[in-house]
Amino acid sequence: MATVTKSLGRLRTSSLSRTLINVVVAMVGLVAAWWLLNLVIGGQCGKLCVIGTLAQMFRYATPIALAAFCGVMCERSGVVDIGIEGKMLMAAMVGYGVNLFVFQVFKDKMDPASAGTLSRWIALLAAVLSAMLLQALHAVVSIKFKSDQIISGTVINILAIGITGFLYRQFLATNLPAGPGTFPIWEVPGLSKIPILGEIFFKQQPLTYIMFILVFVIQYVLFFTPWGLRTRSVGEHPRAADTLGINVFQVRYVSVMIGGLIAGLAGAYYTLQGVDVFNPLMTNGAGFIGLAAMIFGKWNPFGALMGALIFGLGTSVTATVSIFRPDIPSQIPQMLPYVLTIIVLAGVVGRAIPPAADGQPYEKQ
Amino acid sequence: MSNITSVNPSNVAAGRDGGQGKQQARGAFRRLVDAMLLPLLAIFTAFLIGALVIFFTSWITTHSISGSLNTVIEAYAGLFKGAFTKQRGMSESLVATVPYIFLSLGLAIGFKAGLFNIGVEGQFYLGAIAVAWVGAIPALQSLPAIVYLPVVLLAGALGGGLWAAIPGYLKARTGAHEVITTMMMNYIAFRFVEYLISGPLKDKGSSATQTLPVADGAQIWQLAFIPERLKDPLNALGLALVLAFIAFIFARWLFGLPTLRKRIQNTGQKRLYTIGFAVLVGVLTFIGLPALSRLWWPFTDQYDRMHIGLFLGLMAAVFVWWLLWKTTLGFELRTVGANTNAARYAGMNITRNIMLAMSLSGAMAGLAGAIEVLAVSSCRCMQLFFSSGYGFDSIAIALLAKNNPFGIILSSFFFGALRNGGDLMELNSGVSKYIISLIQGLVLLFVAAPPIVRWIYRIKAERRPEEEAPLTHGWGGG
Repeated sequence: MATVTKSLGRLRTSSLSRTLINVVVAMVGLVAAWWLLNLVIGGQCGKLCVIGTLAQMFRYATPIALAAFCGVMCERSGVVDIGIEGKMLMAAMVGYGVNLFVFQVFKDKMDPASAGTLSRWIALLAAVLSAMLLQALHAVVSIKFKSDQIISGTVINILAIGITGFLYRQFLATNLPAGPGTFPIWEVPGLSKIPILGEIFFKQQPLTYIMFILVFVIQYVLFFTPWGLRTRSVGEHPRAADTLGINVFQVRYVSVMIGGLIAGLAGAYYTLQGVDVFNPLMTNGAGFIGLAAMIFGKWNPFGALMGALIFGLGTSVTATVSIFRPDIPSQIPQMLPYVLTIIVLAGVVGRAIPPAADGQPYEKQ
Repeated sequence: MSNITSVNPSNVAAGRDGGQGKQQARGAFRRLVDAMLLPLLAIFTAFLIGALVIFFTSWITTHSISGSLNTVIEAYAGLFKGAFTKQRGMSESLVATVPYIFLSLGLAIGFKAGLFNIGVEGQFYLGAIAVAWVGAIPALQSLPAIVYLPVVLLAGALGGGLWAAIPGYLKARTGAHEVITTMMMNYIAFRFVEYLISGPLKDKGSSATQTLPVADGAQIWQLAFIPERLKDPLNALGLALVLAFIAFIFARWLFGLPTLRKRIQNTGQKRLYTIGFAVLVGVLTFIGLPALSRLWWPFTDQYDRMHIGLFLGLMAAVFVWWLLWKTTLGFELRTVGANTNAARYAGMNITRNIMLAMSLSGAMAGLAGAIEVLAVSSCRCMQLFFSSGYGFDSIAIALLAKNNPFGIILSSFFFGALRNGGDLMELNSGVSKYIISLIQGLVLLFVAAPPIVRWIYRIKAERRPEEEAPLTHGWGGG
């Protein structure tokens, strides 16, 4: 018992020091990025610009981080999920459609502002449910029928392109009434008054807050609760977990469905928080970039958030550069987030080792 | 060696073979039924579900059962007509098949080596832009096709291959996962190519954002223009050389067959026959085909875009099969893919194999892009909105074919026909062509999870261990 506590203690300190190192590296990286940015745009990025860029970074990072969390949940239990993109697309379309539809129903019965709020939250719920429906297919095919999980995920992606594109063309492409719009920015009372941090962290839209909360929740659940321990053991060695009386299938189903829920939030970002339109293929690979963030973060929520933030920073810096330097061909800065991700991945992170049983269907003996 | 085995009491061997052969034949027949039945049922079921979806979406708006049934019939009739029977329908389907073949061959090489090359789309773009550049270099414009065509194809393969070698190198050296790096390389490729097309490589004389058209000698021949092309003896010589090479390979394969191997035992004689056959085919092509094609040629429609790229695709499939299953290199690639540690203990060079697999995979994708520029694009150049979306379909195709090169030909044709037929379906029945993605997804689903189809049609499963073997390896291991 004593040795266990001792080793646990050592684990804690080492993970704490690692966290500290990561924070320092991130800070240095941020300052370097700021310096480089100023070099390119001629020192025009002052305080306001820095705050704007950082706030924008969190906004751009939101769907990618959420997608990555979906991946973390699924893959920690040993189910590979490359169908995140498809679920996001589905959620984006359903969120958009339901938002419009519910608003039409309620707008005459109450004042438009609260009808809008109501329809947006109902739309969010519907978006999440639709993503979970697709995820249920992935879960059954890969857990019950034990088919190849990469194929199953690809199926989800293709099906989602088909379903969303089809329904969009049949019902959502023409003759649409005005919708209620996206979630407005919600300033957290009190906290948003903090000078700089308030501007960056506490003047965001709801899904970004949900993303902030989810990082902590997932980190806590996965690493500090018995249920998280079970999930991880199922992802590493399902046979051993089964021997200990853990229901491998149940754990996998639950984790994968929670992953689907989070992917639904990621998809809802596009039509309920980003812009008030839907177009086919609008997620544009964000699900895959989320997977990249997940691998980047070595299957940890905070690491995944880091990956998403690097990407978000790249995207928001790109926007800043194209405002101040219109003479640079816009494609060059647009490559930046992707180049940055590769450099950081290859140079800093290196070999990422997935959960040992990731992608392997479990067969009871 | 072969002499000794054949002198063995052949009647005894034949007798034993006969008994086993019958059993094997029955087993083979059952296997064939099993292999064909499930995919066919999968396709049928997918179309059935697609019909239900069309029916209900139509019923929601019209509330007319007969009208909705009519929509379903019109949609599928349009799909079939568009894919096969419409004027140039079949050839357009084949035109769409070609990039699918190359891209999914590339993916299959990756999968076999344990690599998930999700970046074939980017490699496709790089291959295309490399060809658009090399094919339009002013100094090379007058080169004959016999030189220029191989050069541009090589450029396409190099463009895709080198682009894919970067993630391969990063994977082998630093362990950076290829799914991330190739995905990122995709987006970089899109931007990079966009930059090249609208900047350095832009055709200054054109109002559209596109590159210069490639030289005539660099273009891939349309079937309709082959008689025209063959008027140039150099072109005829080129074709003769290619066909002679194919004949040579074919003859070697023929003499490798068990029956012929027994009958002709003299190796010198065999070599003579093989080379003789190849030379004969070559000479006949060189002398006969130009004359014959001027007298009679089945492809007369000059708007028919069908081109010889399809044959390049078939050759590529044979090449990949040969490479993966008949060479030491392919064995190493597959071993690295199946079990990296075993490969390492067996002394195989993991770094080299990973880089090689990625480069080959990218080269295939690059060739697909090359052919798209050289034969399909209407301006014979690369435009800003280059036809795309092939890459992600190809993942499904490779998986559907279970990474078998010959299966890839069939499933590429299936996807190509659907892609091509979709337009007429949408035009005739008003049903969005996105329904095709739904059908494709369902086919893949049912093929990937045979228990579902078995459950629907109450087919008893014959438990075979190889069916359980995984096709991909999750994240490809460490």
